[in-house]
Amino acid sequence: MTLQTSAIEPSVPRAIIGVVVDNALVLALVTVFAIFSFATPTFLTIANLQSILVNNFTLLAIAAIAMTFAVSVGGIDLSVGTAIDFASFAFVSLVLAGQPVVVAALAGLGAGAAVGAFNAVLISGIGISPFLATLGTLFIGRSIQQLLTNGGNPVYLPPSGVPEAFRFLGRGAIGGIPVPLIIAAIIIVAATVILTRARFGRVALAIGIQPSVVRYSGIAARAHVAVAFILAGLIAAVAGLILSATVTVYIPSSGSAFLLNAIGATFIGTTLSRLGRPNIPGTVLGVLLLGIVANGLLLTGLNFYWQQVGTGLLIFAVLALSFITRRKA
Amino acid sequence: MSATSPDETGDAIHLDGIVKRFDGALALNRASLRVRRGTVHGLVGQNGAGKSTLIKLLAGLHQPDEGRIEIDGQAYDKLTPHRVEELGIHFIHQDRLLVPTFTVGEALFLGREPRIAGTPFLDRRLMQRRASEILDDYFGVKLPSSALISELSTAEKQIVQITRALLDQPKVLVFDEPTAALVRREADILFRLIRRLRDEGVTVIYISHYLNEIEELCDTVTVLRNGEDVATLPFGETSAAAIARLMVARDIADLYPKRSVTPGKDILTLDRLSAHGKYQDISLTLRRGEVLGLTGLLGSGAKELIRTLFGLESATSGQITIDGKPARSVNPAQAVDRHLALVPEDRRGNGVALDLSVTENITLSSLKRFTRLGFLDFTSERREADDLIRRLEIKTSGRNALVRTLSGGNQQKVAIAKWLSRHSEIYLLDEPTVGVDIGSKVEIYNLIGDLAARGAGIIVLSSDLQELIGITDRILVLFRGSIIREFASSQTSLDDVLAASTGSIEVLRHVG
Repeated sequence: MTLQTSAIEPSVPRAIIGVVVDNALVLALVTVFAIFSFATPTFLTIANLQSILVNNFTLLAIAAIAMTFAVSVGGIDLSVGTAIDFASFAFVSLVLAGQPVVVAALAGLGAGAAVGAFNAVLISGIGISPFLATLGTLFIGRSIQQLLTNGGNPVYLPPSGVPEAFRFLGRGAIGGIPVPLIIAAIIIVAATVILTRARFGRVALAIGIQPSVVRYSGIAARAHVAVAFILAGLIAAVAGLILSATVTVYIPSSGSAFLLNAIGATFIGTTLSRLGRPNIPGTVLGVLLLGIVANGLLLTGLNFYWQQVGTGLLIFAVLALSFITRRKA
Repeated sequence: MSATSPDETGDAIHLDGIVKRFDGALALNRASLRVRRGTVHGLVGQNGAGKSTLIKLLAGLHQPDEGRIEIDGQAYDKLTPHRVEELGIHFIHQDRLLVPTFTVGEALFLGREPRIAGTPFLDRRLMQRRASEILDDYFGVKLPSSALISELSTAEKQIVQITRALLDQPKVLVFDEPTAALVRREADILFRLIRRLRDEGVTVIYISHYLNEIEELCDTVTVLRNGEDVATLPFGETSAAAIARLMVARDIADLYPKRSVTPGKDILTLDRLSAHGKYQDISLTLRRGEVLGLTGLLGSGAKELIRTLFGLESATSGQITIDGKPARSVNPAQAVDRHLALVPEDRRGNGVALDLSVTENITLSSLKRFTRLGFLDFTSERREADDLIRRLEIKTSGRNALVRTLSGGNQQKVAIAKWLSRHSEIYLLDEPTVGVDIGSKVEIYNLIGDLAARGAGIIVLSSDLQELIGITDRILVLFRGSIIREFASSQTSLDDVLAASTGSIEVLRHVG
């Protein structure tokens, strides 16, 4: 009854719970950070924190932001890895063929966007559910890569044939800050602005929440869903470019390594946000959380194979936290 | 069906002098409810009157601060939902969730699956048989027990809920707004069922916003207002109008405020519009400032006509003209651009997004107005939301509150505010006051009057004929896809419109 709920004065415990709910992700991050700082002496060093950002954060953050756009319209993109791979393949192959790095990079972005556009046709055009459509794309993409590479042979750039611009993209730094990290930061800011301040972002979130109302409001919902998936492909392609520029090789289907963590980070961010909506800051904090746990467990001397146990426990903890806070709030 | 024999009289339920506070706010103030065995007892009151709280106390979900709860003549101190179910009291609630991915069979027996004697295995054959017996006997329907809950219509989900209760041979069934999401034909089936259960000795408590349903169904009615029971009356001694007065402490004539507006130019014209198998040769003219009523039974084509105007269905032949220009819309986006607005019957499904805020709902279809170079101008968006919240007197804790937290009437105001923000000029209102309490109803009627006075054209599709007569200028009655009569609302009676909409012979002769 409206009478009762509106008459409630916020009491002190409620206010505290409110703060916890609003900042659950930050609190979780601080807790994990504190635990590892105490547990191992090497965690809280500048070198290690840099390593977290470069090795455990950049690529996954970009892939997870791509995922967040698909999730914002109520979908999911199981083919983020495919877009990463296609971008990487196009980029490396064209550089190898002697094309200018800029041309090759644009072709890579185009390849990722094309994967997104293929998903968009399946989902918005034909009406297949995002889960199945992108799963299909994932499988088809895998086959195509094997066909293109004679059964999965990597495409190497010979050490002598790596152009300076290519190396700069993967290993360069501006003012001491690694280029990939700068690119990730730009994407984080741009994606945040698009999702919170652009009309497209508002409509996308509304579609994710209640698509029929969007349609009944006279908005072309399908077109917005299509754009979200193309955007996901395009953003994932950036991760593909950085990945191949860092390791100077294209390895077929290597992008799929990011898929599960991207899903994890996105849903950690969504679950622990106050309104339960997909959001970029939440996704980024989710990526950090996963990265810190992976890095911290490694430093504590645990066997590498325990890392995924850590990730799994982290996800359970997040679920438990959201369940407790939501019930009380 | 019940253990109680019909000649035994007495109270099945007696809630006496119940006081309940929530964080200091008084929700129930010495409310009493006395329900005699084997009767259908109506419980009415505006939103906030205390109906839900009273029912939650009976369900064992809350404990009273003061007062007594007696069931079958025995007092209970601390009721739990489990204990209440053991006592044979079951609740049918519109929002009660059934797990969507369960099959009908699983949903029916969840938590009390019969087992094959002496084994841990489920007795699927027995489950199947008992379920289909009840479904067939009471509803005359066959729901395959392997069907998924998510595949069922609202009415079918309700049937599953009721069947689940009937499997326990209940003594008391409590229906909380059961018809809010049902069409008339489905509601009729429900009413027949309730009468039959009463005749079999089951006691029924029936909560509804629809006084005509209460009048049709209940033996006795209790009216709650501001947490108190202001009256308990046998229906022989009262009427829907008298009950409405008790609920709002207001006169019935004030329930249907009608502004007199001089109609202006034609805004919408239909010329021999037909959709194969749905309606044929519909011609009508709507003028600015006019409120046009539309009614008809299920299958009359009225609903499909409205959906066609909004671009949700297509016509096979005929003309639609808006402001003198041909205007057949192929999708809602096109219709909205032509200044059409639809307030759909399924408010919570299609009218408002429950998990978007009041502001986000209000500006959803007019976002372009608040966009500069693709980005939202939050300041002007907030101003618009505040303005409409004030103008429409939307009761909400703030513009950022989720629409889910609003009452039905205020949700509907948000659904209408969305189109005011879009500057729509032709309003298609499909059952605009379904599930809305009487106070909000009057406010919505006033709003319709305001819109007409500002020069909008309004079509109200409603099965509440009293409402149509009260607030429209003209009423068109559809029957089997054709307009069979037109009434001037000020010169007609409920009986005339009812006779026309059911296609009674005299009316047909009148037309012929």
